[in-house]
Amino acid sequence: MTEPHSPQPELVELETPVGSEWDPVVRLVLGGVADRLGLGFEELDDLQLAVERLLAEAGAQDSVRIAFELSSDHVRTHIGPLQEAPIAEALQGPPSAPGELGLRRVLETVVDAYGVEEAAAGELVVRLEKRVGPR
Amino acid sequence: MTTSAPAPGPPGAPDRELLRRYHEHGDVSAREELVERHLPLVRSLARRYAGRGESIEDIEQVGAIGLIKAIDRYEIDRGVALTTYATPNVVGEIKRHFRDRGWTIRIPRALQELNVKMSGAVERLTVRLGRSPTIAELARELDATPEQVLEAVEAGSAYSPVSLSASPGNEEDLDLMEVIGTEDAGFERSEERASLEPALGELPEREREILRMRFEEGLTQTQIAERVGLSQMHVSRLIRRSLESMRDSMAD
Repeated sequence: MTEPHSPQPELVELETPVGSEWDPVVRLVLGGVADRLGLGFEELDDLQLAVERLLAEAGAQDSVRIAFELSSDHVRTHIGPLQEAPIAEALQGPPSAPGELGLRRVLETVVDAYGVEEAAAGELVVRLEKRVGPR
Repeated sequence: MTTSAPAPGPPGAPDRELLRRYHEHGDVSAREELVERHLPLVRSLARRYAGRGESIEDIEQVGAIGLIKAIDRYEIDRGVALTTYATPNVVGEIKRHFRDRGWTIRIPRALQELNVKMSGAVERLTVRLGRSPTIAELARELDATPEQVLEAVEAGSAYSPVSLSASPGNEEDLDLMEVIGTEDAGFERSEERASLEPALGELPEREREILRMRFEEGLTQTQIAERVGLSQMHVSRLIRRSLESMRDSMAD
């Protein structure tokens, strides 16, 4: 693999069954990506938490594809397709109400940006972005 | 060789007398009386470790072993009260128990050791660099490969979060219940933080404070760790456990 500073983002993809027993696999791959990119230990932990909470919120589904786009100053993670209903409810409603500590507030805290993209009918892909801090 | 059985002491004999009868005359009934007498101390200490995935009865039994060891090792000439001598023995036995039971799946010892060193390395490098270290920097600090560092971090996830007293790294002998229980100026409640109150519901106070700091005040894990006197890695584990616990409660 070349240095992750080329103009074109480099792509790492993983397709994994969904379930907490598979979280370690996702965390290890994320760790490798973080090492490659020079992401700080705490930034890695934030991103791992974001992905874990998102998958926990996604509800029952067999598998999911996770794609990491590595650029020189950030990593963009695409997770999906996910069932639309639970994700839309968690992310696309009104802003976090007082007293709520749901997925939206978690993502707002631990990643620099996130968004939702339409996939096939009834499915969504969630995009998480984490910037690499100054080194 | 014949030995004469020691005369039974009066009920309610001082600890010192019972200890002397046991150590100098082999009077096991004196030892039993000492154990019985100090079981309330064991129960009191055991209660501090309740709610960590072990039944209180099991913890009390482990604590009782610590008490028996203290009675057996007690040196009459030291002149220390038995309760003073026994307390660290009981607490130590309980902590060892949690430490030994803490790894929920079998993790190679080398990885466990690396994980334990990791916390201290993260703290040192964070101070030295003024930011969170990268995996490569941690690997250099620990004389390990990045893959070993990642495996050791993952091994830490297999460490049961019930083992709050078995903190990683140099905090090994630090009881988190004691640390977290102290007042801190940073813990003063604000209206903003109070707005999370309904969601935090049934979490223990320290976890609620940590979640407020992270998701209301927006403090980093490192900043929270400094405030509450824990390692960043431990704060991370507490946040994860709390979020999972909240989600489980909502699902019920």
